[in-house]
Amino acid sequence: MLIQTTQLEKKVTTQDGILHILQPIDLSIEAGQTVAIVGASGSGKSTLLSLLAGLDLASGGDVSIDNVNLGDLDEEQRAKVRADKIGFIFQSFLLIPSLTALENVMLPAELAGHKNAEQQARELLTKVGLGERLKHYPNQLSGGEQQRVAIARAFIGTPKILFADEPTGNLDATTGHKVEDLLFEMNKESGTTLVMVTHDPELAKRCQRILKMDAGRLTEVSNDVA
Amino acid sequence: MWHKISWRLLRHELKRGELTIMAAAIVLSVTAVLSLSLFTERLQSGLLARSAEFLAADRVLSSRRPISDEWLEQAQQRGLDTANRVVFNSMAFADDNLALVDIKAVSDGYPLRGSLRTASEPFGDETTVINQLPGEGEAWVAAALFQELDLEVGDTLEIGQSKFKVSRVLTYEPDVGFSVFTDSPNVLIHYDQLEQTGLIQPGSRVRYNVLFAGTAEQLDGYYEWLAPQLNDDTHNWRSIEDGDSPLARSLQRAERFMLLASLLGVVLAATAVAVAAQRYCQRNYDVVAIFKTLGAERRQIQRIFILHLLLLTFISIGVGLLLGWVIQAQVIEFVAAQLGAELPAAGLKPYVLASATGLVSAVMFTLYPLLRLIAIPPLRVLNRELTGTDKLRWLHWIASAGTIYALLLIYSQQWLLSTALFAGGAVAAVLLLAVGRLFIRASRQAGMQAGSAWRLAMAGLQRRAQANSVQMLSFSTAIMLLLLVLALRNELLADWERQLPDDAPNYFIVNVAPGDVAQLEQRFAARDIESNDMYPVVPGRMTAVNGVPVRDEVTKEAGGDEADTQTNNAEQREGFGRELSLTWRDDLPPNNTIVAGEWWGDNPQPQVSIEEEVAERMRLSIGDELEFNIGGNTFTVPVTSIRKVNWGSLQPNFFMIFNTSTLEDFPATFISSFNLPKERQSELYELFKPFPEVSLIDLDAIMEQLREVIDQVSIAIAFVLVLVLIAGILVLLAQVQASMEERQQELVILRTLGAPAKLLSRSVTYEFLILGAISGLIATLAMELSLWILQTQVFEMAATIHWRFWLVGPLAGAIVVGTLGRLACARLVRRNTAQLIRKLA
Ligand SMILES: Nc1ncnc2c1ncn2[C@@H]1O[C@H](COP(=O)(O)OP(=O)(O)OP(=O)(O)O)[C@@H](O)[C@H]1O
Ligand SMILES: [Mg+2]
Repeated sequence: MLIQTTQLEKKVTTQDGILHILQPIDLSIEAGQTVAIVGASGSGKSTLLSLLAGLDLASGGDVSIDNVNLGDLDEEQRAKVRADKIGFIFQSFLLIPSLTALENVMLPAELAGHKNAEQQARELLTKVGLGERLKHYPNQLSGGEQQRVAIARAFIGTPKILFADEPTGNLDATTGHKVEDLLFEMNKESGTTLVMVTHDPELAKRCQRILKMDAGRLTEVSNDVA
Repeated sequence: MWHKISWRLLRHELKRGELTIMAAAIVLSVTAVLSLSLFTERLQSGLLARSAEFLAADRVLSSRRPISDEWLEQAQQRGLDTANRVVFNSMAFADDNLALVDIKAVSDGYPLRGSLRTASEPFGDETTVINQLPGEGEAWVAAALFQELDLEVGDTLEIGQSKFKVSRVLTYEPDVGFSVFTDSPNVLIHYDQLEQTGLIQPGSRVRYNVLFAGTAEQLDGYYEWLAPQLNDDTHNWRSIEDGDSPLARSLQRAERFMLLASLLGVVLAATAVAVAAQRYCQRNYDVVAIFKTLGAERRQIQRIFILHLLLLTFISIGVGLLLGWVIQAQVIEFVAAQLGAELPAAGLKPYVLASATGLVSAVMFTLYPLLRLIAIPPLRVLNRELTGTDKLRWLHWIASAGTIYALLLIYSQQWLLSTALFAGGAVAAVLLLAVGRLFIRASRQAGMQAGSAWRLAMAGLQRRAQANSVQMLSFSTAIMLLLLVLALRNELLADWERQLPDDAPNYFIVNVAPGDVAQLEQRFAARDIESNDMYPVVPGRMTAVNGVPVRDEVTKEAGGDEADTQTNNAEQREGFGRELSLTWRDDLPPNNTIVAGEWWGDNPQPQVSIEEEVAERMRLSIGDELEFNIGGNTFTVPVTSIRKVNWGSLQPNFFMIFNTSTLEDFPATFISSFNLPKERQSELYELFKPFPEVSLIDLDAIMEQLREVIDQVSIAIAFVLVLVLIAGILVLLAQVQASMEERQQELVILRTLGAPAKLLSRSVTYEFLILGAISGLIATLAMELSLWILQTQVFEMAATIHWRFWLVGPLAGAIVVGTLGRLACARLVRRNTAQLIRKLA
């Protein structure tokens, strides 16, 4: 099993008492699967992704990636797991404003010490249609273009798992489809496991599994219902 | 890999202007420190060289015993110029007349600094610089002696066993000093002639001096070698800055002022870096969070950002050094032109100091923000509010305080001054912080009913109360230090002005017969000449204290076995070794203040008032019985008061003043000083014609030089002030810019929601106006406090309150901070909203 959670929950303390963002969740995702997470705004989808990627610690239960329990690792070790195995596309892109598109894409590969980072980055940017914009800074790009840079960055180093938080939310239909195709292509070619949050039923339908988040409760829905 | 990323970030950020504040802060701190220290060092050595004339040398070693030739050889080997000067009292005879004179025997090379001037006849107008010394069998004699001994040029003067031909009139000796009344007229002879006079015997009262001139390094190196061999009791090593002359005092004060001003400049520069460093780290929070999410390890992030910071620092230091050098070169050129003098080049020290200031403040002030930066949790990518722990905040304060203290110490190399400044600063900072918070809380309530831009401003102040009180700390610090330097400069200049007013006496008269006093005073009044009181002078010796004789002249027997005498007579005091000028008076003279005991008023009991430093040196106190000998008559009087005398005042000053009944029956002559402008010099002859016995001493040469030095110092101080001002504005600018960035997001949102630009920029302006005014007020308060301490403790001046500054402080604070805020904000709102939103993306 590539990703496995047992009784995973998340609570935060606020002024108004304890808030249960995630109710206990048991979930397993196998290598190579494509999984869509759908649900209303504020239902806890991004929170779940951040726990799965080891960006945040659970309040209860466990997450394991490749049979390694993230709860047993310190922040450094979790960073290492991310560097080695995980790609991430954020809802709000999170590009580094003072680096160009090319440099943003190269960054994870460089951090992981890969040799041909620049070559890979160029290819990926060309694939997402930004071959002409390599030297541009994020604030010189449109929202959709920034998102494509973020996607290219997530692809570099061909991660085992790709978490995507609304990867096509800001894109027009055509570009959106292109990006979707890219995602699934990578899944096919490299066996990358896709876990994506989406509000787009079409996209969800292309995934093998659909999970529905409802006020912190996660349920599996059969593909054809979504 | 990490160094590539680091360099890349730096390059882009520099290009995009994102590091401007931090880079500017470092650049300007280095620039300020470099130009300040280069300038003060060069100017100081220039001034010292200039004033060294008053010593005839850069340094003088004086001793009561002959000075070993080995010491001179050592100095010469080190490249120093040297000359011997031996001074002693003796009787001089010309025909039937005799007078007590100061014999000055000097060797070739004298004077090492400045020059002698002589004339071919006494009291003539013509006087020329002369570059030689009296030849064999010749003596040059001060004008006053021509009168006293009824001499003419070419006559013979007998001193001890030698006869000298009087070949020239001595009109100016650079090292004559300011103690016109305490010295007898001078006779200058060559050092080689000294032995023949037979006057130098074991036990004679002789002052041996060796003069030295050379570069500061040579002199310091030599002194290092010499110091261990010096005996505190017999040797005295001094430069023009030591001692009690008005010049020495001016120089000391100027030096202290420049040091202090530079220190404040350093603190300001460091503050600017501290403000910028905080901001530098904050703006990288998101970047670090992204790095972590992408799997960067802590070690990598550490390396990337430390290298980033170091590169930035080094580049900025380089630019700062260059800029500082250029500014300083320009200013030096300007100042040198003003002074009409070359200023010697400075050593490496200022460069080292400036680089160290930049590096130390950049590293130390960034230390804690950087630690926090590196500890930023990756989850910040989802929650922008996350900033990690704040537990080690105390570390930041300790590191920052320690850095400031270290900088003070490095710069001043004075333990006490640094500690005093630092402690004062720390107390002021805590007070500022507390008062600032209080003010903000109070203004919050006051502002509620005001109009909309005001309301927005008040709301802003309230929301950012925490940040604002820290901001106010840097605003107030900057304003306070500026006011401080400004006020101090005014005080110093005013003090000098008081000391050397245009109508300061420029002539001294001595030897006025008692019967002539009234007539002379009338003549002064008739011609509208400002003169000081006439003081009677009775020459006399102080012979015993409480019945124990003072060791005045070492007797022949004691001379052979002096060590023994010393141990036997540990209680015995060292006397003056010469006749003193004694005077009597009913009122306390101007520029004298009683520090112990009481002035006699009309109490007719015999008594004496003594000068403070004499009292200290001779361990005298109120009630001690002093015995005096005047022309063979001895009498004893109690000390009833101790006076502090301002030796800088150009009036007759005395160690010993008696009440009238004690001295009035002794034969006396009178002395005084007066001011006669140069252009009225021709009146002198007419004025003094009826009084042929009166001697006139022209002080113009000395006064002129003194004025020149003070003018130079004033220029220097003005420049230092400008530099400190720049450093201060820099702090304000850095702080405004940093807080502007903080409120950028808020402004953008308000703008997006349709708030008119006018409203926004007004509310921001009001906010800064209020902050500036409060800071200015607090700054004035703190300034008065510090100035009071500085004036009374460091500069030995009377403390004053500066009411003007109570208006100037808050007003200037409001205007400067408000304007800077408005400018920064205008730039922000001028851009269209879309651009702004992009910028935030
Ligand atoms: N640190 C926190 N403190 C308080 N509430 C939090 C915290 N983190 C998340 N929440 C709340 O938890 C809920 C789930 O947030 P999350 O970002 O996971 O929603 P989401 O499903 O991704 O929504 P969207 O589709 O709008 O992105 C939200 O109501 C959010 O306000
Ligand atoms: Mg979300």
